[in-house]
Amino acid sequence: MDLTQGFGARSGVVGPVTGLESLNFSDEFRHLVATMPPENTGGSFTALLEMPVTQAMELLHFTDSSSSQARTVTGDIAPTTLHPFGALTFPSNSLLLDRAARFSVIATEHNGNISGETANSLQSNSGANLDRVKAEPAETDSMVENQNQNYSSGKRKEREKKVKSSTNKTKSSVESDKLPYVHVRARRGQATDNHSLAERARREKINARMKLLQELVPGCDKIQGTALVLDEIINHVQSLQRQVEMLSMRLAAVNPRVDFNLDSILASEVSMN
Amino acid sequence: MASADKLINTYVPEKDVFALHFLQSLSNLRTQNPLNSPDKSIDRVRKIKKAAYVSMARAAGGTSRLWSRALLRRAAKDDNKSVRFSRRKRKVTWKISSKRKRSNQRAPVVEEAAERLRNLVPGGGGMETSKLMEETAHYIKCLSMQVKVMQCLVDGLSPK
Repeated sequence: MDLTQGFGARSGVVGPVTGLESLNFSDEFRHLVATMPPENTGGSFTALLEMPVTQAMELLHFTDSSSSQARTVTGDIAPTTLHPFGALTFPSNSLLLDRAARFSVIATEHNGNISGETANSLQSNSGANLDRVKAEPAETDSMVENQNQNYSSGKRKEREKKVKSSTNKTKSSVESDKLPYVHVRARRGQATDNHSLAERARREKINARMKLLQELVPGCDKIQGTALVLDEIINHVQSLQRQVEMLSMRLAAVNPRVDFNLDSILASEVSMN
Repeated sequence: MASADKLINTYVPEKDVFALHFLQSLSNLRTQNPLNSPDKSIDRVRKIKKAAYVSMARAAGGTSRLWSRALLRRAAKDDNKSVRFSRRKRKVTWKISSKRKRSNQRAPVVEEAAERLRNLVPGGGGMETSKLMEETAHYIKCLSMQVKVMQCLVDGLSPK
């Protein structure tokens, strides 16, 4: 295949992965990923939501471009690890993580008003990264090195909660102790559990289908509350089945009178509507 | 109709398809029992009802919809016939509705309604709630179409 040839050629280059080469690498990954979606329909959050995969890919590409900005902004960074789904990078430099934590602390104190532009871009980028990365934890775990994972996963969650609370402009209660982290309880049901994510996706699926049923059954739009709507839907199904039974009885009563000629019946039916 | 219809596929054919299938099944019934009509009229009613459901299932999508498949299988079992299913590559998802990880998360209101729906809609026993509601929507559409066809037939055949 072409891709493997390209990879083989590149592996011949000796030397550490510089920033520029990592960018080229990400192009290969993107190309690889662009051909992957048809097979990769299951087992990710996008499949849970039944979002078209191209839409999910767009989101990843967006974070990819924004992460490259982050790299340029923060200057000299140690060579970054690569993500299979695009160059979502975690800075492996501990120094950088400290700076990021400090920036995020400043952000929560000002409740969203962020002092420096670099902090803003870094936080929004990392937040955007974390938003998408959080949705596919299974894939990230394999790529991020263990030390980074243990160190940054704790920060990841609380950073995501903060970003979500600041970007969503929700009421978020900040409880700040003397700790370097600031734990924010992001309201609006933004649980970051895997289970909760799956549950939320499932609930949204069910709600979408219930809306569809509501439009189908006459008189369900006016009703408030899911319980009554569901009762109405069940009543409708039962009434339809009873109607079929009633009509079949009437047909049976009518039946012996008519000589069952297909043409005549079709003609009579056509004349009715 | 609305935006939800574009995402979830609930397409049923036009009335003519239903009418054609139903009339064919009725004429088959007629040829099965020639002039000697069965003694009990209730048998005739039952046969017509079954013919209605089977023709509806066949018109609505054959064996490609879950409820129609279950309905056809149920009907064929009574006649000791076998139904031919087309092999289509399907994504097999194992979501057993009896097992729960966290029972309180699954909206008990929705779940008990889903249980009632499962009893009504054919083939609803093994489906997850979201899939069940999709099938219910399609089933409702097909049922209303079948009711319209039968109403037209009865009106056309009844004595003026």
